[in-house]
Amino acid sequence: MSHPEVIVCAGGGGVGKTTASAAFALSLARSGRRALIVSIDPARRLADAIGVDLGTQAREVFVESGSGRLYGLMPNPEDALRTFVEFLFEEEPEALERLLQNRLYQALEAAVPGIHEVATIMLTWRAIVEHDVDAVVIDTAPSRNAVDFISYPKRLAKLLGGRAVGWMAAIGKRARFASQEDKMGRVEQLLVRALGPVARDVAGLFAELALVRKRFILLNEHTSELLLRPETRYFLVASPTAAARDDVDYLIKKLRTLETTPQAIILNSAFAPERDWVHVLEAADETTPAIDEVLATLNEERETRRRATDRITRAFSRRHPSLLKFQLPFVETVEPQSIVHALAQHFDTSALLVS
Amino acid sequence: MKGWLRALPTSVARRQTHVPLAPAVFITGKGGVGKTTVAAGLALAAAEADGEAVYVEFGDGTSGRRVLRNRPSGLEHVVLDPSRAVAKAAAPVFGSPTLAKLALDNFAMRPVIRAAPAIRELGVLELARQVVKEHPGKRVVFDMPATGHSVAWLKVARQGRELTGRGPVHDLCARLEDELVSPGSASIVVVTLPERLVLWETLALCETVEKEVGLSVDRLVVNRVPQAPPENALSDALSLSRAPGTIGEAARQLAELLSIRDTVREQVMQALDETVHRYGEERGGDTGLTLLPLASKDPTAATAADWLRSEGAA
Repeated sequence: MSHPEVIVCAGGGGVGKTTASAAFALSLARSGRRALIVSIDPARRLADAIGVDLGTQAREVFVESGSGRLYGLMPNPEDALRTFVEFLFEEEPEALERLLQNRLYQALEAAVPGIHEVATIMLTWRAIVEHDVDAVVIDTAPSRNAVDFISYPKRLAKLLGGRAVGWMAAIGKRARFASQEDKMGRVEQLLVRALGPVARDVAGLFAELALVRKRFILLNEHTSELLLRPETRYFLVASPTAAARDDVDYLIKKLRTLETTPQAIILNSAFAPERDWVHVLEAADETTPAIDEVLATLNEERETRRRATDRITRAFSRRHPSLLKFQLPFVETVEPQSIVHALAQHFDTSALLVS
Repeated sequence: MKGWLRALPTSVARRQTHVPLAPAVFITGKGGVGKTTVAAGLALAAAEADGEAVYVEFGDGTSGRRVLRNRPSGLEHVVLDPSRAVAKAAAPVFGSPTLAKLALDNFAMRPVIRAAPAIRELGVLELARQVVKEHPGKRVVFDMPATGHSVAWLKVARQGRELTGRGPVHDLCARLEDELVSPGSASIVVVTLPERLVLWETLALCETVEKEVGLSVDRLVVNRVPQAPPENALSDALSLSRAPGTIGEAARQLAELLSIRDTVREQVMQALDETVHRYGEERGGDTGLTLLPLASKDPTAATAADWLRSEGAA
């Protein structure tokens, strides 16, 4: 299978990351690609933005023109892990049964941090294969930890590929017999004592994982490669606020530790549309005080936005001179879908569309 | 009623008085809703009222430096580094710092800790407990990371205690539950935005916090509530749009924009109204609802403190 192109969109919360990601995926589809948009953010925003009810299985989204396809994937935190382990243990039904009874696994299923991200990224791999996707846009979770998931498959692969799995699984056997404590190594003793009765569940979990180790490692390597190949493109999405600027700086630093450089900074809500009619009304004598007040507010909003955009653009050019900067407008409408369409038009003609 | 909240639905306007906050305050909510602004505002208000308070953030310290640039001397800024949390919290679990190092540096343990979920969260929570302990009698405001993570963090103590049953990890979790994540010790402040989807998600978050963490949500702060335009603006624009030529055309466009904003604001008010009904009914009307206005500029901590005080929420 040839690799699909992967675009990861990261950024702080509230910058319109999901909307911008959906717009970019829509634009890819309109240009003839078979695109997949994945949201790790469990909020309903993606479904709302593209107007299709999405879930743990990828769904096709209607694209009005062009020969491409658009699929959406937005795993529910409630069933992402279950779906994933069922897939992982496809050929080991008995181990799956035991795993589902494992108390540690049950605790993990009750949404332990980080699990949702991992399950989502693995399910992405499945969706790529199923739908023969050639471009994937990943909308990461709206937090600074969002890029942790990039290195997660690699960390998991390392854990499962090493001797740790066997060692952890063996602890369970020994922990069953307190009399064997003297046969344990120092660290084994420490761990069994620290964990208490749950040591057996920890060991059991590793024992089941050992059975599907090969499949897990393969899957991990695939996803890891998807996310960390040199061809994978990272977009940082920001809006003209100081918080978004700090988030971009932080994420760039974090990506650098993963030897990854983002391709572009996308500044969303960067400018308000040109409104000639405001000037017409300002010059007119027939306006009322209420209208004049609105016009003054509109001008102030526009000025504030322009100044904030200038400030953040200057900061970005100073700190990240080599990165592409791309501006998206501030779109004021009632329907979230029309924002996605308006933004997609900006991407349609941009250099970002071609890798 | 305040000027920027003209024409609020009556149920929203009739919200109840606020309960006092516990010594530790966790500010949570999804990304980008203004948690840092609210956290800094609450911490600043506490410092101004009591002389001393602590603002705590997890990460590299940029949030606090940005919003607390001119903080008073009584307001302390603490930065907790999650990547060091496990090592710091592990000593009591394994018996001593040396034993902890021995265990954590083990060839099998290292990759487990790097990859296993919840371990780091437990460490961070322990650091949080220590900060509260080191500042007795002071209000400590925690600027938590975005939703999914912070609820998981708060849940991790109870989960860990139930899972382990006994042993040092159990004791660590029990201590966290008793001393930090318990009703008398900590308050939860949830920050959200006045959008239907976000509000529903927030109500689900509040339910999770109350049912699964066992803490009550003492404030529900709805940030960036759009201000009403001048009363006659839309009708004036509509009548002017009947004028001939470019002025009429310009007025028509103004009317169009104003009606978009009107619709958006109406949706906001309806969603707030429903929130008060859904949320208030379960809690006997005591919603702790706090509304902060939409401003064209990022509010400073001082502005946020003023807003929160005027809402009786600080």
